[in-house]
Amino acid sequence: MHNFDFAKPSTIADAAKALAAEGAQALSGGQTLIPTMKQRLAAPAVLVSLTGIREMQGVCLGEGGLHVGAATPHAVVAREARAHYPALADLAGGIGDPSVRSRGTIGGSIANNDPAACYPAAVLASGATVVTDRRRIAADDYFQGLFTTALEAGEIVTTVIFPIPQKAAYVKFNQPASRFALTGVFVAKFASGVRVAVTGAGNDGVFRWAEAERALSADFSASALSGLSVDPAGMMSDLHGSAAYRANLVKVLTGRAVTAAG
Amino acid sequence: MARDDVKTGYKYVGTRPNRPDGLDKVTGRARYGADFSLPGMLHAAVVRSPHAHARIVRIDASKALALEGVKAVVTRADLPTGLTGEDLNLQDNTLAGDRALYDGHAVAAVAATSPLLAQDAARLIEVEYEVLPHVTDVDAAIAPDAPVIRPGVADYSVPEGMHGNVARYMEFGHGDVEAGFAAADVVREHTYRTEATHQGYIEPHAAVGQLGEDGRGEMWVCTQGHWYIRRMCSAVLGIEAANLRVTPSEIGGGFGGKTTIFMEPLTLALSKKAGGRPVKLVMSRSEVLRATGPTASASMDVKIGMKRDGTITAGQVYFRMQGGAFPGMSPIGEALPCAFACYDIPALKHEGIEIITNRPKAAAYRAPGSPMAAFAVESMIDELCRELGLDPIEVRLKNGARNGSKSSYGPVYDVIGLQETLEAAKAHPNYSIPLGPNQGRGVASGFWFNHGGETSVSLAIGEDGTATVSIGTPDIGGSRASIGLMVAETLGIPYEDVRVNVVETGALGVNEPTHGSRATFASGKAAVIAAEAAIREMCKRAAAEWGIDADAVEWKDGAAHPAGPNAGKFPPMTIGEIGAKMGSTGGPISGHHEVTAGGYGASFGTHVVDVEVDPETGRTTVLRYLVVQDAGTAIHPAYVEGQYQGGAAQGIGWALNEEYIYGPDGRLQNPVFLDYRIPVASDLPMIDTVIVEVPNPGHPYGVRGVGETGITPPLPAIASAIAGATGARIRSLPCSPPKVLAAIKALKKG
Amino acid sequence: MSRIHVTATVNGDPVEFLADPRETLLDALRNHLDLTGTKEGCGTGDCGACSVTVDGTLVCSCLMLAAEANGKRVETIEGMARDGLHPLQRKFIEHAALQCGFCTPGILVAAKALLERNPDPSETEIRYWLAGNLCRCTGYDKIIRAVQDAAAEMRQDHRGAA
Repeated sequence: MHNFDFAKPSTIADAAKALAAEGAQALSGGQTLIPTMKQRLAAPAVLVSLTGIREMQGVCLGEGGLHVGAATPHAVVAREARAHYPALADLAGGIGDPSVRSRGTIGGSIANNDPAACYPAAVLASGATVVTDRRRIAADDYFQGLFTTALEAGEIVTTVIFPIPQKAAYVKFNQPASRFALTGVFVAKFASGVRVAVTGAGNDGVFRWAEAERALSADFSASALSGLSVDPAGMMSDLHGSAAYRANLVKVLTGRAVTAAG
Repeated sequence: MARDDVKTGYKYVGTRPNRPDGLDKVTGRARYGADFSLPGMLHAAVVRSPHAHARIVRIDASKALALEGVKAVVTRADLPTGLTGEDLNLQDNTLAGDRALYDGHAVAAVAATSPLLAQDAARLIEVEYEVLPHVTDVDAAIAPDAPVIRPGVADYSVPEGMHGNVARYMEFGHGDVEAGFAAADVVREHTYRTEATHQGYIEPHAAVGQLGEDGRGEMWVCTQGHWYIRRMCSAVLGIEAANLRVTPSEIGGGFGGKTTIFMEPLTLALSKKAGGRPVKLVMSRSEVLRATGPTASASMDVKIGMKRDGTITAGQVYFRMQGGAFPGMSPIGEALPCAFACYDIPALKHEGIEIITNRPKAAAYRAPGSPMAAFAVESMIDELCRELGLDPIEVRLKNGARNGSKSSYGPVYDVIGLQETLEAAKAHPNYSIPLGPNQGRGVASGFWFNHGGETSVSLAIGEDGTATVSIGTPDIGGSRASIGLMVAETLGIPYEDVRVNVVETGALGVNEPTHGSRATFASGKAAVIAAEAAIREMCKRAAAEWGIDADAVEWKDGAAHPAGPNAGKFPPMTIGEIGAKMGSTGGPISGHHEVTAGGYGASFGTHVVDVEVDPETGRTTVLRYLVVQDAGTAIHPAYVEGQYQGGAAQGIGWALNEEYIYGPDGRLQNPVFLDYRIPVASDLPMIDTVIVEVPNPGHPYGVRGVGETGITPPLPAIASAIAGATGARIRSLPCSPPKVLAAIKALKKG
Repeated sequence: MSRIHVTATVNGDPVEFLADPRETLLDALRNHLDLTGTKEGCGTGDCGACSVTVDGTLVCSCLMLAAEANGKRVETIEGMARDGLHPLQRKFIEHAALQCGFCTPGILVAAKALLERNPDPSETEIRYWLAGNLCRCTGYDKIIRAVQDAAAEMRQDHRGAA
C-alpha cells in the first residue's frame, strides 16, 4: 500500500471538505478499496472514512419510498429493509459473506460501480434516486459504464431512495470464488410497468434489458421471455464465463427472477 | 511379518480422545510460522518477475538501500556457485540466475525494519528484463514451434527426436496389449486433461531465519519436514547442515506443498548480510499461488479394451505432464504406476513424458500424480461401463486387484483392501438411493502407495511414570494423538500420560517430512519399537530388584509382572514405581529407534457421489458423497474420517472449480482466492465415510496411512456423475458451469 | 503521513497504540498487541482466517484499517474462553473439527457470532454463514457437526438457566 493520511469526519459537511483535498478518496466499508490499495491499484493521498457519519446510516420509509443511508452496511439493509422491500433485503443478504455484509455499504457499492456488484441492479431496476451532498440523480442517469458513474470529484452519495415495486426479485449466478454476480438480474414490477436490470454481464456494466421489460410489462410470466434472446456482442467475457455464457444466463435468470417474484 | 502378528483387542487404539494440541489450537495460542518473532528482527520482501520468461539484464538496488531502515538486499550474486542437480534447481528457484523462468520467480529480496518498509523498498529495486518467448501449456510446449525453455535439460531417458522441452521419458508394462485389444468387444481411446491446482493450505509460507558471520544459524519455519529444510537451505547457501538448527512451527496445512523450500533460504541470506539480525519473511497469498509449487497439469491419452461381461483385456496410457520450469518436478513417475494400480489386467502399456514449461516449480500435492491418472483411467472405465450397460462397482470387483495380485507397476500386493472397499460401497445405502431428474451417480476407486521413509523417534520415561515421545514429523492432522494412542497402548498407560512432541533438528536423527501418508505409519511404528525398548529396560530393572531373570518378567497394563515360574511371587511393579527410582537403579530409561521404515501397505478407496446439474446453467451441485477407504487400522478414527473428508473436498474442488489460468502473456490470471476458488462450506454436503480395516501386516498395529488416497477418486467420480446426470462426458477438468453447459448443448445439437 | 493514535477495547482490556495509516486491524492485533491468534491467510478478505468481531459484528480484520478501530470494542479468539472454554471451543476439540488448526480461530469467532444471532441454525444456515471461512483440511463436515452440537448444548444450558 502507498502511504496516505487518514481522516474520519462525523458529518457530511466535514466529509465534503476533507474530500476537496488533492488526491482525496472516500472510504466506506473498504471491502473493495482496501484490497485495491493493497495491490497498489489505488493510491489516495488522503483517505476519508465515511463510516463515522451518523446521518448516512439506517433504513426508513420516507418520501418516494425506502430511504437507505449510503453508509448502511449490507447486513443492516438485509434486516431493516425486509418488511418494506423483501427483494432488496434478499439482495443485500446475499452479497459476499457475513464479514463483507458487516462492513460493505450500498454507497460504497454504487460509487464504485463494479460491473459484477449486486446493488446496481436493484438501484437501476427500482428506478431509485441517488441522493448526494449536492443533488439528486435518477438511476437511469447515474450508471455510466464500468466503474463509472455520474458522480463528480469529491461528491458523496448520502442516501438511495427506492420506490417500492408491487413485485420484485433478484436472482444471481455467483462467480464461484468471489460470490460476486457472474450475472445477476433484478426484476421489479410497478403499476407503470416492469423494469429489468442486469449486472455482471454487460460490457458497459449494469444495464436495463428493454425487450424483456416490454414483454414482461405485457405479460409478467417467465414464458413471456421465450421468444427473446440476448446478443452476446454486448456481454463481457472473463476467466469465469464467456460472453455467450453470460447471454444465456441473462435470459435464464430473468425467467427465474420473474418466477421468484410470483 | 505374518498377518497373525497384528495385534487386536485394543484399549486405546481405535478410541477418539481429544488431541493434545487441541486446546492451543482453539484458543489461538498455537504458534504457526508467522507467529514467531525475535528481538532485533527485520522483515523481508521479495521482488518477483512479472514475466513468464525473461533475461535479467540488470538489477539496481541502490534506491532501496538508500532508504533509512533498509538493512540488506540479496540477489543471486550473493549465493554460492557451482551447485549441480537438484541443489542447483533449488537455488535457481530461490533466486533467479540470468533468467526468470516464470511469472512470480524471485529475483531479489530485501530486509528492513518493518514489513511496510520492506515492501516499499522492494518496489525501489529496479530490474531490467529482456522478455523471451514463453510457453505455459503442457501440449503447446511440445508443439514444433514451441520455444525450448531450458536447452539440454533432457535426461538419458529421452529418446532421440523428441521436443527440446521433454525432460524425461518413462515406459513400462506387461503382456501383449495388441492381443488384449483384439480380444475385447469394445475398445475406446480418448484424451483427458487436468489443470494445475494448488494445495491451498490456508497458512502462507513463513519463516524466521538467523545466520551469523560464523555460518551458524537457526530457523523457525512452517514446514512438513524440517530436516528437508535444513538440507536444502544448507545446500543452496553452502553452509554445513549441522550448523543450521531448524525448529518447526505448528503448520497451517501443507498437503505436500511444504515438503520443499521456496523463500526460506532468503531469510538466512538476508540475515547474514544484515549482520546476523534475524529476518522474518511471510509470503502473501498471491506469492503463494504464483511462486510456490502447485501440482502438475496433465494431458493423458487412454485406451482400454473391455469384453461385454466387463472383463478388461488391455490398457494403454500415454501421459504428458508438466512440472514447471525445472526438471524432475512432474509426478510422471507416480502417475504412471498409479494409473492401473487398482486393477489386475493381463496386458498393460504405460508411457509418459515430463515437459518443461514457464510455470512455477511444481511440488507434491496429496497423492502426487494419482488424481490425474485416476481421472483419465477411471473416467474411461466408467465410459465403457455406461456403453455396455454394466454396474461400475461390479466391473471393479471383477477386475480389481486382490491379495497376491501382481500390481500394474511390478510388485506383488500383499494384503490389500480394494475389494473390501468396493463391497462396502455397494452395500452402503447411498448406492441405492433413487436419483431424480438431472441427477447422476459416479463411482471411482483410487490408490496410493503409502510410504515409510527415514524416521527417528525417541521416548523417555519420566520419574512419575509418564512418557515423553520425541518425533520429527510435524503434526498436520492429528498425528500427535495417533502416535500417543499407540504408545499408550504399547506401554499400557493412559493416553493422557503420553506427551508427544515434535522436536527440532538438533534433537533427533534425520526424519523425512510428514508426507506420503507416513507420519502415523512410520513415526508411529518407530515410537512403538522405542516403547518396546523402554519396556525391556523396565523389565530388566524390575528383574534386578526382584533378583530374577529379566526373561522371566512380562510387561502388561503399565507394570512389570513376574512371569513363568516366578508368577505371583512379587506384586507387579508399575511404570511409576520404576520411574521414581530409575536414578538409583541404573539411570534414565528411554528407548529410541532409527530406521528407513519398510512394511508400508498399499491404500485403496472407493467413492460414490451423487450430483445434480442445472441444465440451464451447467452448475453442478454435490448432493451426497461417500468415501470408503481401507485404513489398515484406524488408530484415531475421527482423524481418519477427517483425512477422508478433507481429501474428498480437495478432489471435489479440483473436479468442479479449481484451475491455474495463464493468460497469453504467460501470467497467472487468478493468483488470489477471489478468483482461485476452493470449496467453501456452502458448496459441500456432509461427507459420509466408511472406514474399512484390513490391517497392514507391516505395522505393529496394522496401520496403512490414510492421508492421500481420498483426493484421487473425486475427479473421475464427479465427471462420471455429471455424465450420468446429463449424458455429457467432460474429459477436461474442471467441470465448470460454462464447460458443462456447452457439453449439454453440444449433445442436444449432436 | 502522520501516525494515528488508536484507543480501543480488545477482549475487554483497554489498549492503545500508534498505527501507520496503512496498517489494518489485523496488523495491529498481531504486531502491536501480540495477539497472534488471529491469522492472515489471504489479506484480501477471502479466507476468513482473520475474523474478529468489532462492536459485536463479524469482520475480516485484514480489510479494516486499524485507524477505524478507534473507540471500538474488538473481540478475538484470545478472548473467547471466559469461565473455561466456550462450548464451541470444546466441541471443536471433541468432534475433531480441526486438523491443522490455522482456520480454527476465525471459524470459531464466526460461529460464535452466528450463535449469538441465531441459537438454532439449520445445517444450511451454518454452511452459508461460514461460507467466508476457508478450511482446506476438513471438508467442513466435522466443523458443521461441532457447531450444531455446541448450539444444542448452549440451548440446553439456556433452558436450564431459565
